Amino acid sequence: MTDKERDAKRPEGAGARNGITRRKILERGAVGAAGLFGAGFIAACGGSSKSTSTGTTAAKAASSGGGGGTITIGSFQDNAMAPFRDTFIKRFTAETGIKVQYNETSYDAWYQNAKNDGLNKTGAYDIYVMDDNWVPEFAAGKIIQNLDQIGFKANPDILPKGLDQGYWPPRTGARLKDFANDKPALYAVVIIDDVELLYYHKDYFSGAPKTWDDIAKVAARKAKSPKLYGWSARGVKGNPIMMTYLPLLNSYGGQFVKDDWSPGFAGPEGVGALERLFSFIPYMPAGVAEFDTDQETQVMLQGKCMALTEYTGLVHRVDDKKSSQVVGKIDMAATPAQEKSGPAIGTFICGIASGSKNTDAAKQFLEWFTSSKIQTDFARGDGSAAVTKSALTDPQAVKQFRWLPAIADAVNNSVPKPKTPDEPKFEDILGTHISQALIEAIQKKSGYNAIAQAHLTKAANEMTQFIKQQGGYV
Amino acid sequence: MALYPLIYGIRASFHAYRYGRDVGSAGFKNYDAVLHDHTFWTALGTTAKYVAFAVSIETLLGLGLALLVVNQLRFSRFIRVGLILPMTVAPVVVGVIWRLMYASDIGVVNPLFSSLGLGSPNVLANPGSAFIGVVAVDVWEWTPLLFLIILAGLQSLPQEPLEAARVDGAGPVRVFFDHTLPLLRPVLMVAVVLRLIDAVGTFDQIFVLTKGGPGTATQLISTYSYNTAFLFTQYGRAMAMVVALMVLVLLLTIAAIRFMRTAAMRTSS
Repeated sequence: MTDKERDAKRPEGAGARNGITRRKILERGAVGAAGLFGAGFIAACGGSSKSTSTGTTAAKAASSGGGGGTITIGSFQDNAMAPFRDTFIKRFTAETGIKVQYNETSYDAWYQNAKNDGLNKTGAYDIYVMDDNWVPEFAAGKIIQNLDQIGFKANPDILPKGLDQGYWPPRTGARLKDFANDKPALYAVVIIDDVELLYYHKDYFSGAPKTWDDIAKVAARKAKSPKLYGWSARGVKGNPIMMTYLPLLNSYGGQFVKDDWSPGFAGPEGVGALERLFSFIPYMPAGVAEFDTDQETQVMLQGKCMALTEYTGLVHRVDDKKSSQVVGKIDMAATPAQEKSGPAIGTFICGIASGSKNTDAAKQFLEWFTSSKIQTDFARGDGSAAVTKSALTDPQAVKQFRWLPAIADAVNNSVPKPKTPDEPKFEDILGTHISQALIEAIQKKSGYNAIAQAHLTKAANEMTQFIKQQGGYV
Repeated sequence: MALYPLIYGIRASFHAYRYGRDVGSAGFKNYDAVLHDHTFWTALGTTAKYVAFAVSIETLLGLGLALLVVNQLRFSRFIRVGLILPMTVAPVVVGVIWRLMYASDIGVVNPLFSSLGLGSPNVLANPGSAFIGVVAVDVWEWTPLLFLIILAGLQSLPQEPLEAARVDGAGPVRVFFDHTLPLLRPVLMVAVVLRLIDAVGTFDQIFVLTKGGPGTATQLISTYSYNTAFLFTQYGRAMAMVVALMVLVLLLTIAAIRFMRTAAMRTSS
């Protein structure tokens, strides 16, 4: 680089050598750099299979050492998986003699890794730990096995709304055209019932607020921004702000999509829900539009927020003396109702790889881990979001971990996201428009109804256009 | 080996993907969808604006700083080392650092502005300030590159014409505009073209700082095509975006080179 730059400063023509002038070198260098940019970007977008193959080779090598008595589980990294990884895998091996190899990586990397592994049926993994919104793609693409067909027996004690997340096509709600007449089958089984909860400060609420109006009233009376906020939220565009909006939308009787795939949020219910969110603006941090989970929860952990909605990952942090100034002061409940409670659900769910070399042991593991006994121990251990009713209502567990009944209640009231591989695109469309609406509402401080109506209508039109363009819906 | 990823990417842009699988040729459908995608054009516009602002400011700052340092001002060695440091930090780390600084609750930018009586800008919470914020990060990180290239150029300029001009009574400003700048132009063009190509592909800082928000205020083609590929699993469409962008960058490069050639010919004549 330095040589090239020095060369560039010589007088014109001084660098001619073997018919190649300095200018030509510079030109070719610049074109080459442009090409490299393109190649680099394309490699970044299309090169995931290469990095995946490296990972799967390692996993394959690891699993091959154990022979028939070994299963390999792949997962994304998440604190909620710690007891599963550190305690229950070892216990399974101790009880059954089946060895378990556990590999984890980042969320995005694991999604690509699992998908490529399943599509290529490498046999490197037996069980995929997934986010439940992967199920439509993984089941429709035969990346995971039909658990009903291999004789998997689902524990009837598993909360039905959690169990529903593993069915394809979905048992309720809109279905893709190609699968409209298929009989729903279980493709994945829930292992952690992650669901949105209402977290409220007991100093300001005598009991769990039943409606959003209850929260708004207390916020209006007691909030003193910026020392004490009435409400905190995730405002970043896309998925984060959608997780703020969905419990409101569901509770006001709106729907993300209707059963015919038409948007269900641009009507009075959706507008009312968004207006309710805007009504919290005077009681929310000024920078809420840039808040993601870290900033949203920080104000609560600092004791500066009266209530918020968040997934179950926060339950341990509010009682952690190292990071929380509100230990024991925060209680949890299902997200408030207006017409009804409607938390968003985002379970951790397991499927058996289509290329699994030890399907029987994988099935045995999943049946074992989702059994009532193990789930009760899972809940008793550190208050994990177990998936069975008996675990979440177990007196011993509940005595120690007050949030467990709230999780059960929230799961029972939960509303699943649309079951389609395009769900993230739907979230992005609506989540971008809600972000824009929130900023406009913050800036204008009035005219909330018109702002909500305009942006939700735009989002609905955009989503309808996308669905039409994508095909396969109606 | 060098061409295969390019060919693979171009091929993918003509294919359709569903449920994780390549389901065959899509003809020009992906390109048609991209051309009719309102978000793509918005992202393209934002990218152009981002690149124009960032590269212009970096060039001017880089040139100014190089002129200061080349004149052997006091502390120029320290300035040189200090200026190079941001460039050595990985872009994703840069994003994390600035996200903490910009954070409306725990950051340093809000208190700084408040102490100056300018209120709290909540940089990343408003579309206008978020755009300025991400451009500022780019300027902070990449001005050193322009500085280094231009400094090297200044140091290797032939001194005779400059000294002759001074002897003829030309002042510093006249010498700069009539002699230094024309002689430096080829170097400047190379620096700008290289930086321009790099800036078009900016990804890490945006991903960490704003994810393209608020709304679509900071959504660049790079983040949108990444989301299209890995979040929306529309690989074919994402590749069509990338190929379209690559063609655009190549055209820009060729245009810049032609401009450079004309400028160089004018200088030599």
